[in-house]
Parts: sequence; structure tokens; C-alpha cells
Amino acid sequence: MFENRTGGPGGLVSSRTQRRVRRVALYLTALIVTAFIVTPLYVMIIVSLQSPETLFSGGELTLFSTELSLSNFRTLVTETATPRYLLNSFIITAGVVLVSTVLAVVSGYGLARFSFRGKTTTARLILFSYMFSPIVLAIPLYIIFFNLGLLNSHLAAIFSISAIAAPFSIWLMWQYFQNIPVTYEESAWTSGATRWRTIRDVVLPLARPGYVSVAIFAFSVAWNDYTMVKIVLSEQALYPITLGSSLFLDQLNIGWGEQMAAAVVMSIPPFLVALFLQNYLLQGFNLGHE
Amino acid sequence: MGAVRERAPALVSGNSTRLLLLFALLPLGAFFTVLWFGPMFYTLVMSFFTDPLGSAQFTGFGNYLDVLTGDTFPFYLWNSVLFAVSTTVLSLVVGLGFSLVVNEQLRGRQGLRTLMIVPYLLPTVVVVFLWTLMLDQNLGLLNQALVEMGIISSPIAFFSTPGLAMPSVITASVWKWGSFAFFIILANLQAIPDAYYERAQVQGASPWQQFRDITFPNLRGAILLILLVRGIWMFNKFDIIWLTTRGGPINLTTTLPIRVYDLAIRSGAFGSATALSGIMFAILAVTGVLYFTVMEPEAEVKD
Amino acid sequence: MAQEITLNDIRKQFGDIVAVKDVSVTFEAGDFVSLVGPSGCGKTTTLRMIAGLETPTAGRIHFDGVELTETTPQERPISMVFQNTALYPHMTCRENIGYGLKIHGIPKAERNDRIEEAADILQIPDQLDKMPGELSGGQQQRVALGQAFVEQPDVLLLDEPMSDLDAKLKEELRVEIQRLHRKLDATVVYVTHDQNEAMTMSDRIVLMDDGEVAQYDEPRTLFDRPNSEYVATFIGTPTTNVLEFEVEGQTAIHSAATIDLPSTLSTYSRLKIGVRPRALTPGKGTFGLDLTIDVIETMGHEHAIHATTPDGETSVEFVVDDVDDFAVGQTVTAGADLSDLLFFDETGAHLAYGSDLATTQEAGQR
Repeated sequence: MFENRTGGPGGLVSSRTQRRVRRVALYLTALIVTAFIVTPLYVMIIVSLQSPETLFSGGELTLFSTELSLSNFRTLVTETATPRYLLNSFIITAGVVLVSTVLAVVSGYGLARFSFRGKTTTARLILFSYMFSPIVLAIPLYIIFFNLGLLNSHLAAIFSISAIAAPFSIWLMWQYFQNIPVTYEESAWTSGATRWRTIRDVVLPLARPGYVSVAIFAFSVAWNDYTMVKIVLSEQALYPITLGSSLFLDQLNIGWGEQMAAAVVMSIPPFLVALFLQNYLLQGFNLGHE
Repeated sequence: MGAVRERAPALVSGNSTRLLLLFALLPLGAFFTVLWFGPMFYTLVMSFFTDPLGSAQFTGFGNYLDVLTGDTFPFYLWNSVLFAVSTTVLSLVVGLGFSLVVNEQLRGRQGLRTLMIVPYLLPTVVVVFLWTLMLDQNLGLLNQALVEMGIISSPIAFFSTPGLAMPSVITASVWKWGSFAFFIILANLQAIPDAYYERAQVQGASPWQQFRDITFPNLRGAILLILLVRGIWMFNKFDIIWLTTRGGPINLTTTLPIRVYDLAIRSGAFGSATALSGIMFAILAVTGVLYFTVMEPEAEVKD
Repeated sequence: MAQEITLNDIRKQFGDIVAVKDVSVTFEAGDFVSLVGPSGCGKTTTLRMIAGLETPTAGRIHFDGVELTETTPQERPISMVFQNTALYPHMTCRENIGYGLKIHGIPKAERNDRIEEAADILQIPDQLDKMPGELSGGQQQRVALGQAFVEQPDVLLLDEPMSDLDAKLKEELRVEIQRLHRKLDATVVYVTHDQNEAMTMSDRIVLMDDGEVAQYDEPRTLFDRPNSEYVATFIGTPTTNVLEFEVEGQTAIHSAATIDLPSTLSTYSRLKIGVRPRALTPGKGTFGLDLTIDVIETMGHEHAIHATTPDGETSVEFVVDDVDDFAVGQTVTAGADLSDLLFFDETGAHLAYGSDLATTQEAGQR
């Protein structure tokens, strides 16, 4: 029964050595993965903080420098449409967060609290649409928005991004409401509160962590989106920062410094959200999100 | 405890309840009709016409036949599968390995955990910026390192060299989405009660046996979920590939989503584009059925 | 004003499952009535129909003669305490207790007076400004009781409010609930699976079995004159011993005993005889059960002895004050009088009470 033991008394290798090897392997793995993740991040920050003169001073990228400057950020503001792109990003993101969260709260409550036929089908439809290919959906939306005269508008961007953000938001809220015991509501009813009053006084406050998670999810989908806006927006003045800054890749007058500065700028909002709302953040990993 | 009870509360009859039900489910219905069923139906209809937005002519499965019999389809499908499978499996390997490490009594594990969320938070465009710089022919760190170590004689343009473009896109993708697997597996690891391991140790199980008999069976569901869901998402991926390679060089990184975009937006060939969409729809539907059968995710909300 | 509650042929179906089968009972105004029975017997469903949280599939519900069958909980003069307390985690205890008053538009000053009065009665005046999460289980349950009490309802409904508490807290709260009942002018309906709770607190008990009322009576009657084997074994601890006898002529025969039957019972070929553990005394009584002792449990001032009949098939329990004379493996004869016996037919339906038979016998002998 115990002959397979490799460590311990009678084992081939002493358990002490075995443990030590294990520890070294652990720290080595941790080190490699950390380097894999940190290196690009470090490069991004150090490149964004150097003026073009210091950056290329040795013919290669200067990766260790004490002469830091904000000149790249200044260039972004004065010589590119970055401020405009950022404003567009905020407008579109706010719209998506609003649409997805409201839709998710209302539908989630209805789905969790009412019994009706076809719930399984509804659940599958929601999950299926969540797994669906954005680009396949974007093509017909492009044509529909074109016919409605909505193409090239923030509204088109908001609705098409909501189309990919809402299914998981609804799913999350559905699960969340399901986990709030219905006795809370029943207790309010027996105290004489109407259904509407119960929703206001009891349901919504209890569901707060749920819709904060949903809002974070919708935010990250919208802020990150490239595919949908790429298809429904063609006027540069309406571009969000993701789409706008991707143009920098092909622009000769914009160097690595400015590009990395743009990368830093558009990474700040998600980090702020993560910093202040980190407790809600991992809830989204329940089924995971894009 | 009490008696037999319906899980979804039987509601008191009354108009306000019906009104509330309507109010709650109407937006959901409207949303799916306008933004999902409508467009998808429209797509399927278009796919049966030649030049659907111009002089539309019914052609039955003509567009499908064109797409399927063209000699490029198997190639694009292969690219999609290659990209989806390798990013998913590599993400799983990285995620599993690293979550096992972080789950140990390690100094700084909290910091490592926080670090892992960073790539996930970055917008895809930022990830693309980072990796185009990292792999840049003139200034990229990797080229510098490889040249200095004497492994290559002259710098390589990773994203535009056949044979290296796909691995480069895959690397950038794993960098961004590896943490998805990491967090799911870590959560599942932490949910395994210590008592299981303590009992196995008392019964004389080696670390490997503990992994095989306790850790792995408890992670099976999570691993399956990652393979299926992440696999589907990567199969659908457009942005990271488009931004790094535009599907090149010589279409070596053109996956089905890139092809749909090319056909529809760049060439305006909506007949072929929608037919290809229909084919992707079918592929996803099959995967969806598999997902629903294996995982039964809807059980989480059903009563 | 306490209200009389009448349930008239109440039926509740969930799909194919019939949870409550045509129940008809009347709870008198001001009574403390317990609905008791094992899990799944329909007691909670019945309570929820009284509350208006479920609508009966068939039947009528009246409060003081007014039909309320289809009305919502909001329209009924009730308040309710839930099993899991249902205290809102986002409100302080004060807000929780006062929520119903706020709904009914009671001004803040009066609200606070009533909340504080309730808190004093329930001995939680110091906890009012804490959040429910900071309280112990017992304190939470007190807040939940306070929440129902301040509304001064005509009907107070309690759904297993103590099932998650430990034994000592249960005893304390039992007293608290009875004190509230005295202070309130209300009909109380209390759901529990614990017959001991029901017996000690209630004016009357509805004992339910598989969706039906097994017996509706005062606690004492339920104990002394159970109308079926089910009631006899459910009520009282330790549980009633039931032995199955063969009838030959005028005699009931079991491996442990033979009992001479009154003529009224000798027509049956088999019958069941029940006797409470405390009625069995070794070496006494007119009938004796021959038993072998298996286990002796000490309960403090008394001792429960678990024994087996000679055929080895039936366990019998009896209670003695002094355990010194007994040992495991020993054979004893535990006896009882005719007046202690309960007679049921094979299916467990009531046939006769030994106490009635004993009186008739005495009368006959006289």
C-alpha cells in the first residue's frame, strides 16, 4: 500500500532534499512568469516617460534612464486628437454601462423572480449570445444602422457594444437575484409594503454588489472595445481612444514614445476602477469575461 | 425546512404583478429581438442572395457552396482552429501552472495575484502596442536579446515573417488572456478543503498522487469550462489579430472572423460574408450544444 | 383585535405534488396555535397561505368571517417572523424593527417609542443601532420578533423561528414568544417541527401528516387521547412504544406478553397496542412485557432503558428513576395497567383508550 512513496523513510531521495528542490522550482516559475508579465509593462512605462532625444540616444531603446519627461503626453494632447478620442470613449462607455446595467437589473429580476415556461431556453439563448462572434453580429448591425441612418453615431456604438456586453450582464444579475432569498421580499410584503416599494427599499439595496459588478463588466467591455466601433464608426471625430490610437501604428509622425504614452493613458481608467472596486472585480470571473 | 415549496415564489395574483412581469421582461425581449434575432435573421436571409444590398438575386445555397468549395476555406478554418486551440491550451498550461505556484505557501503570493490581473485589465489595443514594440524589428527587446546572444544574425520582423507571425500573435494573446484561466483555476484550488489533502497525507499519498487523486479531479470542471468557453472566444477573436497582422503575411493569420471582415467591409461582398457568417453560426451552434450538454450552465439559474 | 381564522377545504398543489390536502380548521381569536409535523407535511405551506404568500389551489380562507383567500399579504392584518429572520442586512436593527411602521406612515417619534418599547421587552435595547450582521443568532431572532411585534398585528405568524438556534436559546425565546403573545391582542400561528415546542407553548395544536390534519386539539388531549398511532408516536418524548399483537379468542398474543382483551376488541385478528415509556414500570402493573436490556441512557434524574422483545423484532423503551438494579443483557418484566394502554388497528387507526376501558371495567365490576 505504501510502496509508491518516493519521499519519507526508505524513499529514494530524502524528503528534505525533495522539499528544497520543490521550493526552488516554485520560486523559479514565479520569477519567469513575473518577468514575462512585467517586462512589457516596464517597457511601456519607461518608453512613455522619455523624450525622443533620450529614448534613442544609443541607437537602441534606452531602458534605464533617469531623464524622465512628460513630453510625449504633451505631444499627444497638442498634436493628436487624443483628448477628443478620450471624450468619445467616456461618452460611449457611459452609455454602454447605463444601458447594460439597467437592462441587466430589470431582466435579471424578472427572470429570477417570476416563473414562466421556457426559462431553460432563455438561459441558453443568453449564454449562447454571450459566446457569439462579435464580428458576425457586427456585419448585419452595420447594414441595419446604415439603413436607419444611425451609422457613424455614438448611439450606434453604444447599442452595438451593449449587444455584446448585455448577455453576460443579464446572466450575472439573474444569478445574483436568485441568490437573494425571496423571504426578504416576503417579509416586506407581510409588513405591508407594495411590490414597487419592496423593490425600492429591499431589492435594489440588496442587489448593489451585483449591479456594481455588472457595471464594471460593462465598463471593461466598452472601454476595451475595438471590433464593434471599427465597423459602425468611420468618422475619425467619433472614434474612441482604442480605435483612434490604433491609427498611430501607421502614422509616421507618431513615435514609440507617444504610442506608449497613449497606451498608459488608456490603461489608467481600468486601473482606477480596479483599484477602487477590486472587491467586485473578481465576481466577473464566475463565468469569466472578455 | 418546512414543506414542499416552489423555488420561484408563487406570486400573489393581481394586476400589479402582471404589470411588473411585463415591465421586467419587455426590455429583454426588445433587446434580443432588435440586437440579436433581427440581425441574425437578416444575415441568414442575405446569405441566400447574390449581391444582397444591390441587385439582390436569390441563389439558394449558392453563396454557401462558393464559400465551402473555394480552395481557401479549409485554410482559413485551419488558421482559426490553430489560433483558438493553441491560445486556449497555452493559456490553460500557464494558468494552471502558475495558479498551482501561487496556491503554495510562497512569499509575495498576494502581489503575484494582483500582478496577474494587470494584463487582463489592459485594453487589447494596449497589448498590441506593447507586443509590436517588444517584437519590433529595429528596436524590439526580443530581437536585441537574440542578436546579442548570437542566436540570430540579423533582427526579425516577427509579425510579418511567415512561420513566426502566428506564434507571435499567439504569444501576445496568451499574455493577455492567460490570467482568465489563472483566476478560475485558483478560485477552484482554494475551494478544495484542506482536509482532503490531510487525509491523503495520513494515508501516505505522495505529492504527485495528491495532485492526481485530489487536485485534478476537483479542477476538471474548471478546466473543461476554460477549454470550451475560452476556445469559443478565441475562435471568434478579431481585434488582436487584425491589429497585429491584418491577417497577413500572405493570409497566414487570416482566421474566419478576419475573412468575414475582409469580405464584408473591405470588399463589400455581403453575399459571401453573410454565408461565411452562417457557417460560423453553425460551428458555434454545434459547440454551444456541446457546451450545454457537457456543462449544463443553465442549471445555475433554473429552479 | 385578535381575529378568528377559518380555513375551509384548503388545498395547495405544486404541479403534481399536493402539499396541502383539503384542510379545514378554525383558529379561535387570541389563541396560540401551533402547526406541527415532520418536514414536508404541509405546515409551512398552510402558514404561507394564511399569510397570503401562496394562493390556495382550492378552498377559502376567512379572517373574522371576511374572506381573504385571494388577497395579497399587504392587505391582511398580519405580521410574520421568518425562519431565517429575513432581517435586511443594509438596515440597522432599529430600521428593521420600524420598517413596517414606516410603511404604514407612522410618524418618526411614535415609531421610535414603539421600537424602544419592543426592544425593552425583548431585552435588546443596546443592539438597536447595530447592523443585523453584528448580532448573534439569538439576538437576530429577537429583532425579527420585535419587527413583527411593533406592528401590533391581529394575526402573528411564525415560521419555525427557532429551528436554527441551540437548545438553551430556544428555551429563552420560548418564554419570550409567550410573553409577546400575552402582550399582544393577536391570534398566533406558530409553525414548528418540534413537538416539544408545540406542546409547551400552544393553546391548541394542529398535528399534520402528509398534507392532512391528523389531529387538532389541546396539547393535553393530544397526549392523552391521540386519535391514531401516528399522533401517539409523534407527540411525547421518549416516543410511545407500539407492539403488534395477534388476537386469539379473548387474548392478544406477542412474544413479550399476553393481554386479556375486553370483548369489544376481541373481534380483530391483529391489533397494535401502544404504551408510553414513562407508564412502563419494572415489576409493577397488571400486564408485563418480557424484555432484554440493550442500552441504558442516563438523562440526569431519570434513565431511559432501551430493550428488545424476546422475538428480537421490536424495541421497547421505558424510563426508570433508579438505574442501580439494571444491567445490559439482563431480562426484566416491565408492566403497565390497562388504563395506560392505547389500542389501534393494524393500520394504526384508533380503536380504544385503555383509560376508557378501565373505567367501564370498574363500573362493570361494581
